[in-house]
Amino acid sequence: MKRSHMVAALVVFFVSILLPLVVETDYALQILFRIYLFAALGLAWNLVGGYAGQLSLGHAAYFGAGAYGLALFSGKLGMSPWLAAAMGVVVALACALLIGGVSFRLRGPYFVLATIAFAEVLRLVAKNLAGITGGDVGVQAPALFHGNVNRAFYWAAVVLTALSFAVTVAISRARFGYYLMAIREDEDTALSVGIGAARTKLAALLLSAALTALAGALYASLFLYIVPDQVLSIDVSNEIAIVAMLGGAGTVLGPIVGSVVLESASEIFKNVFKEAHLLIYGMLLVVVVLFLPEGIVGAITAFLRRRALFGGMKAKGVA
Amino acid sequence: MDLYAALQAVINGVLTGALYALVGMGLALIFGVMRIVNFAHGAFMMLGMYATYVLFTHTNISPYLLFMVAGILLFALGYLIYFGLLRPIHGQSDFMQILLTLGIGLICTDGVLLIFGADYHQINIPLLGKNIHLGEHIVVNAPWVVSFVIAVAVALGLYLFVMRTMIGRAARAIAQNRYAAPLMGINVFRVQAISFAVGIAAAGIAGGLLLPVFYIYPQVGDQFTLKAFVMVVLGGMESIVGAALAGLVLGVVESLTSLYWGNEWALAVDFVIFLLVLSLKPSGIFGRQKA
Repeated sequence: MKRSHMVAALVVFFVSILLPLVVETDYALQILFRIYLFAALGLAWNLVGGYAGQLSLGHAAYFGAGAYGLALFSGKLGMSPWLAAAMGVVVALACALLIGGVSFRLRGPYFVLATIAFAEVLRLVAKNLAGITGGDVGVQAPALFHGNVNRAFYWAAVVLTALSFAVTVAISRARFGYYLMAIREDEDTALSVGIGAARTKLAALLLSAALTALAGALYASLFLYIVPDQVLSIDVSNEIAIVAMLGGAGTVLGPIVGSVVLESASEIFKNVFKEAHLLIYGMLLVVVVLFLPEGIVGAITAFLRRRALFGGMKAKGVA
Repeated sequence: MDLYAALQAVINGVLTGALYALVGMGLALIFGVMRIVNFAHGAFMMLGMYATYVLFTHTNISPYLLFMVAGILLFALGYLIYFGLLRPIHGQSDFMQILLTLGIGLICTDGVLLIFGADYHQINIPLLGKNIHLGEHIVVNAPWVVSFVIAVAVALGLYLFVMRTMIGRAARAIAQNRYAAPLMGINVFRVQAISFAVGIAAAGIAGGLLLPVFYIYPQVGDQFTLKAFVMVVLGGMESIVGAALAGLVLGVVESLTSLYWGNEWALAVDFVIFLLVLSLKPSGIFGRQKA
C-alpha cells in the first residue's frame, strides 16, 4: 500500500472513531453501527467470494454461529461474555471446516447451492432443537459492553472493520492473496502450477468465518436477543454478498463502499417500503449485474484508468 | 395401525410429490438442460399462485381452470425476462446469473409483499370438503387428487415437449454442444427463451395447482427454489424424468419425516439428502451424466 493510501486509511479510521463526539443520537449511531458491521462482514466475505471467487451464499452460518455461540456458551455454560464470543468463533471455524470440506470440492452453482443448504440446515436445527437454542422463541445474548452501549458497539464495529480491512490489505499483497486470485481466474491452471487449491480456499474460508462470527456476536450482543430466522436467515447471507458485490468483489475498498451505499439506501427504503425493503436489494442486484459487474469501486477504477490512459495519450499527442 | 399411518403418509407424499415434480421438471429444463441457474424459480411458482388467487377472487372461476391462465402469464413473463435480462449477460459466469435471478426473485417476492401484504390467505372451494376413502383406514382429500391428476398430465406434456417437439430437441442439442447447434440452423436465443418460458410456466402451473390445497403468502416460493435444485441434482441434472422422480421421492421423504420426526424436520432432511448426494454421488440418484 502506498504511503498516501495508508495515511488516508488512518485518517478515515480516526475520523470514524471520533464521530460519536459529533453524532449523538442513538438512531444515527445504530445506523452507523450497521454500516460498519456490514462493511466488516463484506470484507470477510470478500476473502472467499471476491479474492478466491467462491460465491458463498451461506455466510449466515458463521454469523449465526458467532451469535449463538455467544448466547449459548454464556447462557447455558455460564462463561464470561467475551470468552463465549471467542467460543462462537471456534464454533464458526468448525462449521467452516465442515462446509469447506464438502463444498469446495464442488464448482460453480453446486458450490453456491451447497453453501445455502448448509446454512439452511443450521437454521432449521436451531429452530427445532428448542431445548438447547430456545427455538423460534429465541435466546438471550449477554451484553459485551455496558454504559453508553450504542457508542461502544459502534466503536467495536469500527475496530472490527479496521481489523478486516488490515487482513484484506495484508492478503491482497501476500503470496497467499495471489494464490487465491489464481484460483479464481482458473482453478485447473492454479492446480497445475502447484497451488494447493483446496487448502488455500479453506484457509481463506476459516479467516472469513472467524471475522463473520465476531460480527455475529456483536450483532447478537447489541440486540440482546436472537432468533434463528434473524441471525441464520438466508437474507443475512444475501445481504453480506450484496454488500461486497455492489462495492466491488475482489477489491480492498469495495465492501466498505458497498456497505455505505446499501445500508443507507435500505435505511431510506425501510421507511418507504416498510416490510418490503428487500425490494431495493433485488433492484440493486439486477443493476449491479447488468451495469456494474465489477461493482462501484471496480467501475470507478476502470474509469480512472481509462481516463489516465486517454489523458496520457493526449499529452503525448497520440489522440 | 402403524402400517396404515405409513401408507397414508406415502400416499400423501406422492400427491404432494407430483406438484414438486412439476416445479422440479421446470427447473430441470432451465438449469439441467440449458444451464441457466435460476434462483428465482420458487418466486415464479409463487407468482403463479398469486395470479390464480387474484383471478379466482375476482371471477370465482375454479382454480382448476385458472391455472392455465397462470401458466400463460408466466410463460409471457419468462419470455420477457429471458430477452430483457438474461440474454444481455449470456456467456458470463454462473455467478452473474445467480445474482441476477436472485435479484429477480427478491423483486417478485417483495413486490407481491408490497401489493398484497404479508398475510396468509387460503381459498375456499366446495371440493375442499370432500374426502375420498380408500378402504377403511386411508383417506385422501379430493382437491389433492384433482391437483395430482392435472399435475401428472402437465408433467407428461412437458416431457413430450422436451423429447418430441423441435424446440425441445433444439434445446437438448444446445445442451450437448452450444457451438455446433447454431451451425445446424438452431436459433439459440429463441429456443432458450421459449424453453426458459416453458420451464417457468411449469412452475407457475404448479403454483396454480398448489393454491387450493396450500396457503399463500409472498415468501411461499422461497423454500421451493432450493427444493427444485435438490430435485434437479437428485434427478441427475439433464434428466427431466429424473427430476420428476426426485420430486415424488422428496414428497414421500418429507411426508414420512413429518410422520416419524415431526413436520419441522422435513425441510432439514431434504437439505441433508441434497448435501449427501452432492458430496457422495454428484451424478444424482437417477442420473448417468456427471454433474
